Amino acid sequence: MDSQSNRRSATAQGHETGPYPACVLSEGTIRKVLDAALAGGGELAELFVENRTSSGLRLDDSKVEDVASGAEMGAGIRLVSGEGAAYAYTNVLEEPALLEAAAVVRARGSGRDKEIDLRRVRPSLVNPVEVDPDAVEVSEKADALRAADDSARSSGDAVRQVTASYMDVHQKVLIANSDGLLVEDDRTRVRFFVQVVAARDGQIATGFEGPGHSGGFELLTRRPAPAVGAKAAQKALAMLEAQPSPAGEFPVVLAPGSGGVLIHEACGHGLEADTLVKQASVYAGRQGERFASEAVTVVDDGSDVGTWGSFGVDDEGTPSQRTVLFDRGVLVGHMSDLRSAKKIEHPPTGNGRRQSYAHLPIVRMTNTYLLPGADKAGDIIAGVERGVYAANFAGGEVNPATGNFVFGMSEAYMIENGAIAYPIRGANLIGNGPQVLGAIEAIGDDFGRLEGVCGKDGQHAPVTNGMATVLLSRMTVGGTQT
Amino acid sequence: MSELIDLVRRVTESVTGNEEIEAFASHERSFETRVFSGEIDSISSAEPRGIGIRVIVDHKVGFAYSTDITDAGLRSTLQRARDNAAFATPDEVTGVAPAWGNAPEPIEGLVDDLFGDATVDDKTGLALKLDEVARTIDPRIRTVEDSVYADSYGEVAISTSTGIEGSYASSDAWCYAVAIAEDDGDTQVGFEFGLARGLGGIDPDEVAQRAARRALDILGATKIPSARMPIVLDPYTAGQFLGVIGSALTGEAVQKGRSLFAGKLGETVAGGMTLVDDGRVPGAPGSSPWDDEGTPTQRTEIITGGVLKRFLYDLPSARRDNVASTGNASRAGFKSAPGPSPSNLALDPTGESRDEVLAAAGRALLVQDFHGVHSGANPVSGDFSVGVTGRLLENGTPGAPVKEVTIAAPMLEILSSITAVADDRRWLPFGGSYGGATTLVSEMTVAGL
Repeated sequence: MDSQSNRRSATAQGHETGPYPACVLSEGTIRKVLDAALAGGGELAELFVENRTSSGLRLDDSKVEDVASGAEMGAGIRLVSGEGAAYAYTNVLEEPALLEAAAVVRARGSGRDKEIDLRRVRPSLVNPVEVDPDAVEVSEKADALRAADDSARSSGDAVRQVTASYMDVHQKVLIANSDGLLVEDDRTRVRFFVQVVAARDGQIATGFEGPGHSGGFELLTRRPAPAVGAKAAQKALAMLEAQPSPAGEFPVVLAPGSGGVLIHEACGHGLEADTLVKQASVYAGRQGERFASEAVTVVDDGSDVGTWGSFGVDDEGTPSQRTVLFDRGVLVGHMSDLRSAKKIEHPPTGNGRRQSYAHLPIVRMTNTYLLPGADKAGDIIAGVERGVYAANFAGGEVNPATGNFVFGMSEAYMIENGAIAYPIRGANLIGNGPQVLGAIEAIGDDFGRLEGVCGKDGQHAPVTNGMATVLLSRMTVGGTQT
Repeated sequence: MSELIDLVRRVTESVTGNEEIEAFASHERSFETRVFSGEIDSISSAEPRGIGIRVIVDHKVGFAYSTDITDAGLRSTLQRARDNAAFATPDEVTGVAPAWGNAPEPIEGLVDDLFGDATVDDKTGLALKLDEVARTIDPRIRTVEDSVYADSYGEVAISTSTGIEGSYASSDAWCYAVAIAEDDGDTQVGFEFGLARGLGGIDPDEVAQRAARRALDILGATKIPSARMPIVLDPYTAGQFLGVIGSALTGEAVQKGRSLFAGKLGETVAGGMTLVDDGRVPGAPGSSPWDDEGTPTQRTEIITGGVLKRFLYDLPSARRDNVASTGNASRAGFKSAPGPSPSNLALDPTGESRDEVLAAAGRALLVQDFHGVHSGANPVSGDFSVGVTGRLLENGTPGAPVKEVTIAAPMLEILSSITAVADDRRWLPFGGSYGGATTLVSEMTVAGL
């Protein structure tokens, strides 16, 4: 990894004020700021320092536009006392500005004399960066966009429009708190996405493909731009032939990868400990209860090396880990940050994340997987007489309190007599989290991942959903044909 | 914060050769507090500020942003914007806004003069009040998941090498409550918000009562049999629907083949309705004297008497269609480059009150909430298929609550089937500003049992 960091600092020297190291602050300053925040009492003072550089390009209408780069620095100071948290941040990483922010969060009581003993720890997990995106010429990134555009447009005459985007983010964070924690994490993420609009005979359809990972520019070697463009085009072209979706109850087969959004939305959000603490989850107080068959095991794993939702330590400094949520059908786990972990009296699970230094950490998923089974996808489909094959979801929405969800399908097919028959449009899936867990009848061996961005309380976080081909015995499908 | 103009001017003064420069900066002071179960859960205060710079040279645009506004930081950001421009594809329509003849008229009501008078205790007090009222209004309210108050006071400034220079301030205050009701094994959630230019413009009692009411009203909801029937959209869901079609109403979306309205100019697309975008509505959330490229804002009739008349434009899309910008350039803060979007978008009311619209609906489904709009509604293809909760209307009276059904129809068909828009408009901040009012759609497919 050393050669990587050398390359990075070499790049930094090329700019007048390029990427900075996260830790521009001395341990003395850090201790002083934490002391100042605690001067009026409180249980925990925390400093979060972030340095983020990014570059992004977008191709639209075959033109490269929005060639952008960003540089952000800031520090947030949090004081946790009693049931509450106070937070303030500044863009100025100098001691006087930090002390001013510390004064904003200070409580109104009396402080403590205990000396803060900072102990520097290293994250156990490193997501490898093989090709530092900062060291890649912008022209090479632009060429990848053009290659995706070319391949998408040559996929079929009906392709009308292509949008392709590339982005890389290099985020360095430092977290220190009054319990003595001092840790830094270095995160590089790259994402490439292509959206295609196709039209024929008054029908319009869209297709999307957007791989991403925690790593460097080698993403474009693993997922070459022309293949990503072609795949997005194929999805759009397939849906041009789509017939209106029927409405009613059907067996539903979920495609590998994309179907994972169901687990994320319908199970994951309800197992975030802040929701559990507020009794605002359909899973609250139900640990140990069976929700699904022996075949169903669900985990959240922020330590899955190289994956889009992974990191070394979370944004409170807790090491990323693999947390089992459902073990062979039984609810056994939850996800927590420091505050919610304390309230439910369990160790934190490394799920405290924040969008940036401007945000309070909250409980978030990382990479959430329904683990694969032994069935063959072909056999699963062959066993369905009439049903719906959900190839891609456009997104979803769930109410954690009730577990009710709705997911729109951006690519879906009717299954007839054990085979995929024809594409359908306007279909969505309506149901309930616990109900869908109970409806899982078969799980394939073809595990796949899909990268996404999850929104909660106005904050966005990179997350991955994963699952294999899955058969749900019976689900409500919303469509236009009654 | 008047130094913000000096900041953007310092950047555009560095213009050299044949390049054009635009600098956009913002400086905000924001506050948020969250209450749960009678206790303050968090208080957060922030002062974000930063600058975004666009350089246009040989018809190529480069963009860079930074939170570092020292002289060295500005020089570095400008240099990165210049570097980035080299990699863009030349496009003749690029360019910064032309100089103003007369400075745009200021907009009334962007700032609450009493904004600065509200103390932290006033603010936490409002959130505590939200929580208390919603929690204690009815024994069936099991918990209030979130009671949030937030506000911000901010200034934005723009300077261009063509000579535009301006700044304006605005203040915002908003709150919301999420109430969870439970009875007889059924759980329902009610969300309601308040939005004003300052704390004094928000009535926490009313917001809390409405949040609780929205949850209580649909307790015991059931699925109904699939059918075609009239639909009444509440102001909340009507605003969400406008939010979906809004992105398809820009000239750019049409030019790039991403609009269900492409090729429909001059055609009847909306029964007899009139749809207006107006960036100058006093006090409305999407109002500003000039847009985020510096073009003065205006009122634009998009659909007049059902006929699609024109689209919304920023500068590049307007040049491509040989028309003037409608002042609809917008950016998500200093970190993003501008693009076209609606300002305050609303259907003109048709003269009825909400009660009259409900009465006219007969036996219908009153839609209180959509579920899955961001996935089930596609402004490119026009597909619209979303889950809903609401109540059955019988002779104008809301009755049995309904859940887990979907409504679906092509968006143009929905727009054409709108027969009444009540006079109860409220502005909804759904990634823009949309005027929602009780709206009658003559018939749609409801998919249930």
